[in-house]
Amino acid sequence: MNASPVIAVTGLHRGENPQPGSAVIRSLRRVYPELRIIGLVYDSLESGLFSEEDAPDAAFTMSYPGAGEEAFWQRLDAIREIERFDVLIPCLDAEMGPLVDAPEKLRERGIHTCLPTVESFKCRDKSRLAELCERTHCRTPQTLAVSDVNSLHQAAMTLGGNVFVKGRFYEARHAITPAAREAAYWHMLEQWGAPVLVQENVQGEEYNVVGLGDGCGHMLGCCSIRKMLRTASGKGFGGMIVRDPQLDAIAQSLIAELRWNGPFELEFVKSEGAKGEYCLIEINPRFPAWCDFPSALNCNLPAAAMELALGWQPREPLRHATPGKFFIRHAIDMTGDIRDLAALTTTGQFFRQPREIIPHPAASRGL
Amino acid sequence: MKLAPFSTLMRHNSQPHDLAPAVAPSTATATFDFHTVTWQADGFGFDATSGEFFTASPTALIVMQALSEGVARPQILDRVTAHFEVARSTAERDLESFFAELVHIGLIEESN
Repeated sequence: MNASPVIAVTGLHRGENPQPGSAVIRSLRRVYPELRIIGLVYDSLESGLFSEEDAPDAAFTMSYPGAGEEAFWQRLDAIREIERFDVLIPCLDAEMGPLVDAPEKLRERGIHTCLPTVESFKCRDKSRLAELCERTHCRTPQTLAVSDVNSLHQAAMTLGGNVFVKGRFYEARHAITPAAREAAYWHMLEQWGAPVLVQENVQGEEYNVVGLGDGCGHMLGCCSIRKMLRTASGKGFGGMIVRDPQLDAIAQSLIAELRWNGPFELEFVKSEGAKGEYCLIEINPRFPAWCDFPSALNCNLPAAAMELALGWQPREPLRHATPGKFFIRHAIDMTGDIRDLAALTTTGQFFRQPREIIPHPAASRGL
Repeated sequence: MKLAPFSTLMRHNSQPHDLAPAVAPSTATATFDFHTVTWQADGFGFDATSGEFFTASPTALIVMQALSEGVARPQILDRVTAHFEVARSTAERDLESFFAELVHIGLIEESN
């Protein structure tokens, strides 16, 4: 292991559907400003590479998950010949399966992680959520897995017609008409593979809980928000911190049942009405894109995850952030240079240089 | 002081909305908790358990403050008519409809 650990983070694109990697980097640097962080990217245009504040020190292109597991491990080994990183924080759902399945491959390489066991990972799969919710007495919308168009329509009818069509890993589309259902089905199949999931539509406010499990059934810390703003595709673009003992208890019972190790995000809809109940929509096995927001409020879960992966003592107990604090996402334009793009495209690697400062003409005018 | 309509208790979500004018009634304390909502004297209320926020008219604020203190309905009516120039029968009718609104948004139980 390096004297000062080197951390690898994936999922650096903060586009329309923002990935969590840049938020993880920002959180780590809040506590460890000198930490060396490398980005593992799937595209040379991942926006986080060009950020002033949360870019990695170096980046390497990865093989797509579709290229197979062997290619994945080979590429990881090749990268570690150049940058022997010690900790890996995967931030994309599609990467989780191969990593969770092969803890021994990570161990033999000396890569520290903070990942759930295969069993707990499988138990939170969208297709098995109902079983988990039954054991923990938590409500969840009825969800059916389909692999052909006939069963898609049958499932939708069973669930009342007004449904969400969801991809295996990401994305959900609200579909009421058969045509909309079919279009969503083919899109999800093409993007994320089979099965496609059809989910009952529960109307209400959306609540999310980000947290870190210790693998023994406890949460080392968590933060709950109500989504205040949503994009057209339903992604949270703003959130308000809440503190509801009922929501905390549900989250605790789910994590205890799963004996979850590592970061997670629980997504709920609270059904409308005075007696609305929390309904679990899904469990994401990684940090969400908004994970740096609690970090700014003394609940730095990514830093705690890194410490947990390294077996370090936690710096201090994680606090639940104060209700009433909120975040609003703000999209800005990054500046890139063709030389950086060329390096990443041709050699698959890119080492960050100090930024060239282009002086404003007014600066020399002595205003 | 004229009676402000009760129905200016507004829930604010992510959708575009008009802010209701909220003027602090002279009798209100700095903040008070009613149900799970903490109300400020300027009529802004925040529910820390749900993350929702509201604005209320001065009249609504007086009624909710009274409810938070456990004041019974006839005495709430007394407070309202003492603070605003309004016929008791009109205030009583408006109060009933305001209670119905509070039940609807889950701030009081049906039986209150």
